Amino acid sequence: MPREDKKQERLLDLLVLESTQKLSLEEQRELNTLLDLFPEYTQDHFHEMTALAQVSFYAQDNFNNELLPKQMRKRILHAYKSELGQSTLMDYINHYMRVFFYKPQYAWTLTILMTIGLSFAMIEFRTYDANFRYLPLKRAFLENTANDMIQFPWHSRSNSLESISGDIIWTDEGQKGFIKIAGLPMNDPRQNQYQVWILDPLNHKQPVDGGVFDVTQVDGTMIIPINPKLPISKAVGFAITLEQPGGVVVSNQPLLLTAPKERPKITI
Amino acid sequence: MAQTAKSVNIHNKRVSAMQSEDNDSILARIADGENGSFELLIEKYGNLVWSIGKKFLYRQSDLEDAVQEVFIAIWKSADKYDASKAKEITFVSMIARRRFIDHLRKISKHKILESIDDDNSGHQLYKESLLNESTDLQLVKNAIQSLDIDDQELLNLSVYQGYSHSEISKLLNIPLGTVKTRIRRNLIKLKAIFETNETNTILNLNNA
Repeated sequence: MPREDKKQERLLDLLVLESTQKLSLEEQRELNTLLDLFPEYTQDHFHEMTALAQVSFYAQDNFNNELLPKQMRKRILHAYKSELGQSTLMDYINHYMRVFFYKPQYAWTLTILMTIGLSFAMIEFRTYDANFRYLPLKRAFLENTANDMIQFPWHSRSNSLESISGDIIWTDEGQKGFIKIAGLPMNDPRQNQYQVWILDPLNHKQPVDGGVFDVTQVDGTMIIPINPKLPISKAVGFAITLEQPGGVVVSNQPLLLTAPKERPKITI
Repeated sequence: MAQTAKSVNIHNKRVSAMQSEDNDSILARIADGENGSFELLIEKYGNLVWSIGKKFLYRQSDLEDAVQEVFIAIWKSADKYDASKAKEITFVSMIARRRFIDHLRKISKHKILESIDDDNSGHQLYKESLLNESTDLQLVKNAIQSLDIDDQELLNLSVYQGYSHSEISKLLNIPLGTVKTRIRRNLIKLKAIFETNETNTILNLNNA
């Protein structure tokens, strides 16, 4: 069986596993890597089908007649009212925003504008390898679904990079993240490549390799996936350096960018 | 351009059909902040979520914590629900499954015996109402029934009863690799049948 087919088969096995049970950190990392190789798949590939199949089996199971206990009903309502009681001014604003955008004509306008914006973004990325075409969607998916997402803006460590903008998002549970960045100078991949590092001092003495990337355009914002080479238990910071092609295991190069701004206790 | 206009037209008709079907969508009412809508959510899906939860979690305390989390999560996600993308029951059951699977990581699971209630006529009506309300469920039910009996059993054990692949392998005395391959193939097949039928439904709407 060709290698690509084997990888795709493994991807599908992991997607099935992900939709029926919790993946280990290793499995999650492997899945993230395979999803980058096969961008036509997303992590929730089988979610709808397994959910519908489960309800279908339930509906036909004559022996499963469980009713939600009355006490449980009261408990859920009590929890709901407690959550409501914590409403802030922002919640009221968000509520009216939701009502506003729920009107079909506004929702359609927003959808069309987002489609146009996404199309331009995807056109911008056409110089990338095809695998990077879906990154804006993947980043948006992570932002909307990760319960433990952390986010830091990039800070320049070099005078020549003062115009840098962007941020990094990361989830320990998902073992993945995304860099968003603009203003980084183009590199020649034959000479050097940018490398992202993940700081996890509780688990690793040295920063962990999060992958290498190239800047292939002068203008515009880039979105780059982070793929850690080791399991991360609690990421506290990130950094970017410029390394030899392919990256290194331990860096001796100066820091170009860090996130967050405060210097982490472990230095590269 | 003509193809794009046709696609938008199909989508418009599907959204319109969904909107008329889901005029009283509970999630839409929750997103609007309508009074009493959360209580309706519990009323409609409480038994379903509780039953699904019991397949994943053994300890009563874990089950109760998880079920409470599911309903709060559904409430908080109600504004993200898009009727043109999935039925309400699909949205609800997907959130429920994710939460229960997340809880599985924290605790060990153990199989429990089902309670058999002789007087289950009311509950049967509830289940029939779930099936009748959702064409997606009917599609999936028919698709499952088109599989071999053995494959239906594998899917049942994995997706509904909540057994891991290795547990199924031991239970049925089938090699683990075979279990994985068959479940993968069945889900791919179900997905293909479901998506083909969905496309046909959209085309029928277009031709109507």
